[in-house]
Amino acid sequence: MFFRQPQQPDPDRDLVSQAQHGDTRAFDALIIKYGDKLYGLVYNMTSHREDTHDLLQDIFARAYQSLGKFRGQSSFYTWIYQIAVNQTLNFLKKRKRRAGVSLNDPESSAKDDPGLADTAHPANPEQQSNLNELQKRLNEAMRSLSDSHRTVVTMFDIQGIPHGGIAKVLKISEGTVRSRLHYAHQHLQSFLQDCWEQRF
Amino acid sequence: MKPFIEQIGSLLALKRTERPEEGYWQDFLCEFHQRQREEVAKRRTFSGLCERTTDWFSELVGAKWLYAAGLAYAMLMAALLVIPRGVEVEAVPSVPVNHQIVPAPAPAGQQLDELDLGPATQGSVGEQVF
Repeated sequence: MFFRQPQQPDPDRDLVSQAQHGDTRAFDALIIKYGDKLYGLVYNMTSHREDTHDLLQDIFARAYQSLGKFRGQSSFYTWIYQIAVNQTLNFLKKRKRRAGVSLNDPESSAKDDPGLADTAHPANPEQQSNLNELQKRLNEAMRSLSDSHRTVVTMFDIQGIPHGGIAKVLKISEGTVRSRLHYAHQHLQSFLQDCWEQRF
Repeated sequence: MKPFIEQIGSLLALKRTERPEEGYWQDFLCEFHQRQREEVAKRRTFSGLCERTTDWFSELVGAKWLYAAGLAYAMLMAALLVIPRGVEVEAVPSVPVNHQIVPAPAPAGQQLDELDLGPATQGSVGEQVF
């Protein structure tokens, strides 16, 4: 879905065309269609609900204003995904500069946020409790990664985008994507070691 | 014991099911449209005057040149009428100049001759009389 073959038409071509001609409902439909995916991307990169909300508003506003420049060389989803990644990375840079926020600093809002813990896989209560605890620890581990490493982990492991797609969006080589992923996975492994030993 | 990479991948994959709360996108769309309206209004306020001026000049063809020329002429005339001219200086009645011819001083040699350099007028040696 993320990578469209050149001969395949963009599934959103009609909606995009209508939106380009001023049909706001068509753009609303695109927001609804890709909102959840982009929400997941931005939220896992920022670990902050309000920032995610504000960023999504900015991302869709930017896309709406730039819609006239969209020529369909990539799919609409790839295009808006690229906007989302760039805006979020810029935001993270500014946030770090502005408030001196370190990724190692505990951010309680995200650490205990039930939204980050999966509840779609009910098991017995003990298992569920372990899983929730592990998820919390995983969130902490994610926040301890650098922006660039967290971005590739979010795109690959959470969003399921292939290496080539990530390389294209981030404008880096596939080798760099693989290297960043390798490092990030090792870091997460070490970070989760204690918790894993206690639980399993 | 460390978790395997695959296990970490599975844990991370669980996050794919995360969704914002129910009704989130309806509120999101309302706010999005509100922001768009505000943005448009702001743009109109700031750039409206510029746009109208630009539009007017861009449409300035044919007869409008006549209006523009007339307007410019009217403004020039108004400026001439309104801007105060230089203060007029009152005419002073002319008075004939009283010329007195002063004789030119005699040449230095003649002046020397006219001096009374007799002994009576001379002081003693080394003495100056003023």
